[in-house]
Amino acid sequence: MKIFLFCCFSLPLLATQVLAELNLRELIRTVEQQYSGDSSQTRIEMTVKTGHWERHLEMESWSLGRERFLVRILAPKKEKGVATLKVEKEVWNYLPKVDRVIRIPPSMMGGAWMGSHITNDDLVKANHIDQDYDFRLLSEDQQSWTIEGLPKPNAPVIWGKIVYQLQKQPLVPQLVEYFDEEMILVRQIRFTDVQTVDGRTIPLQMTVLPVEKPEEKTVMHYRQLDFDVDLQKEFFSLRQLKGRR
Amino acid sequence: MLWQLALRNIWRNRRRTLLTLSAMVISSALLILALGIFSGMLKDMLASATEQYFGHLVISAGDYQDDRDMFANFSSSQALEEQLQREPQIRGYSKRLRSFGLLSQQRNSGPAELLGVLPDQERQVTNLHQHLVAGSYLQPGDSAGAVIGSGLARRLGAEVGDSLVFVTQAADGSIGNDLLAVRGIFSTGVHRHDNSLVLVPLGWLQQLLVLPERLHEIAVKIEDPLRAASFAARLQPQLEGQLQALDWGQMLPEMREVVASYDVSRMIIVTILYIATGLGILNTFFMSVMERTREFGVLMAIGMRPGQVRRMVLLETLSMGAISLFAGVILGVLLSLYMAYVGIDLSGTLSPITYAGGTILPRLHAVLEPANILYPALSLLLVCLLAGFLPANRAARMQPVVAIREE
Repeated sequence: MKIFLFCCFSLPLLATQVLAELNLRELIRTVEQQYSGDSSQTRIEMTVKTGHWERHLEMESWSLGRERFLVRILAPKKEKGVATLKVEKEVWNYLPKVDRVIRIPPSMMGGAWMGSHITNDDLVKANHIDQDYDFRLLSEDQQSWTIEGLPKPNAPVIWGKIVYQLQKQPLVPQLVEYFDEEMILVRQIRFTDVQTVDGRTIPLQMTVLPVEKPEEKTVMHYRQLDFDVDLQKEFFSLRQLKGRR
Repeated sequence: MLWQLALRNIWRNRRRTLLTLSAMVISSALLILALGIFSGMLKDMLASATEQYFGHLVISAGDYQDDRDMFANFSSSQALEEQLQREPQIRGYSKRLRSFGLLSQQRNSGPAELLGVLPDQERQVTNLHQHLVAGSYLQPGDSAGAVIGSGLARRLGAEVGDSLVFVTQAADGSIGNDLLAVRGIFSTGVHRHDNSLVLVPLGWLQQLLVLPERLHEIAVKIEDPLRAASFAARLQPQLEGQLQALDWGQMLPEMREVVASYDVSRMIIVTILYIATGLGILNTFFMSVMERTREFGVLMAIGMRPGQVRRMVLLETLSMGAISLFAGVILGVLLSLYMAYVGIDLSGTLSPITYAGGTILPRLHAVLEPANILYPALSLLLVCLLAGFLPANRAARMQPVVAIREE
């Protein structure tokens, strides 16, 4: 009887909580997948700047769902054909100069991807942020939400906390801040150049700023974005990684 | 006269003398052996860090050794190398470039530390060429060979002749990648080196990293590793610009502590052992003086002065000390020599222990050092003198009449 009463009272409560949670989770999921959708094909210009060098890369990428992603460098000439394939939790790189495919071992997942301020882990784990973190609304005003994500116990995550600043209408991220386990701000990603492409409103420019090195940054600019392209799972193969059709 | 008396006294009671002598001989011989083995362990430990990797001292730009920042590099100048060649204490030096990255073979890959070296120079500084378990060392002029650690080779499933891919970020930001052919595999017993270290040709790595003619460090091997600190300090003012000479003690401060504490612990061991030995000697001499009370009385009655009696007893102890010193040092050196050339292998029961940045190998192996013989020898003489002084004093202070009457 007591249990029944408890259920009667608590279930609706629980339900609303779950609902609110779900909404936040859904929001984050939408934001995290703004560039991929169900499937996508893009062209990106990436500029990486450090204290020692600055370089521009042109890349082409394809994605299918959360788990499949392929990106290939088009320019500069020295690195043309270098490609990265992610299938589920695995990441491979292809190096045309030596004609070899290299699997990235777990110990190197924290390493820079293509020399940028994005890590291999970002490729693998960013797509699971909505599943691995619990979200809570920090503040809300007319234009925006600030949402905090804390890792679920035992979730295989790299960040201690993630704070999203989302613009409400249209729904686009403005700023995402990444904190390490000691809750120290490590990295910021700023989103700018909001445009409507292929029926979606998204920021075309993404700037990654490592907090410890203020002179460094990585800017990704989407030059072309097509959603819901016709791609099959088989496309994301090691053969395709090597650029042989 | 006194000498004759003293020597005759020693040989009067042979059993007692031989027992005392053997205690002194064995304690000093074993002490020399123990210190030799202790020094051997320390030398193994120091060698594992310096002669298998760092060198005794390292010349690098700015604070490169703190964070191994790829951009803290320099070019070697003709003047610098000539200077290094001129120094008589320098046994060899090796120009090096270092890179951390991903090494891969087929489906296996793992992080690795590549040292770009000139093979002829490197083998004068480190002894990895003596630890090869397969294949051969890098040859001068080899364009893309690699000598890799045994643990790394196992992880990659690589054997001599296989080709590996190395990927890292070059100094211009590009993705440096190229093939290497495995020429040899080394195994030092030091996990840190065996599991990640790879020697490659310097030119190959300079090209991969887009750092032509640049170096990260010059590793130097000198005559006496324990003098590395003073040598580095002397070299420092002659280095140009940003360059810094660091000795192994600065790169491995814990190791320096261990070596410094060794000198102290050596003294403590010598002291403890000789307090015990000294008490034994003291006991013997007291007994022999007490036994001869009447004799001393007679000697003094017929005109021997107290000072002469004291000197005679002291001469007895000193000559026993000298005999046992001679025999003890010879026995100790022989034992140490056996342990230095044959030694005892413990690898069946023990695995290498890494401590303070160095690795203690599972073997008993002695090193002959002058200090390890000098300390026990000098202490033995000192102990003999101290142990002889009390009985000698007692004998000298006797009243002849009382002494003669004593039963």
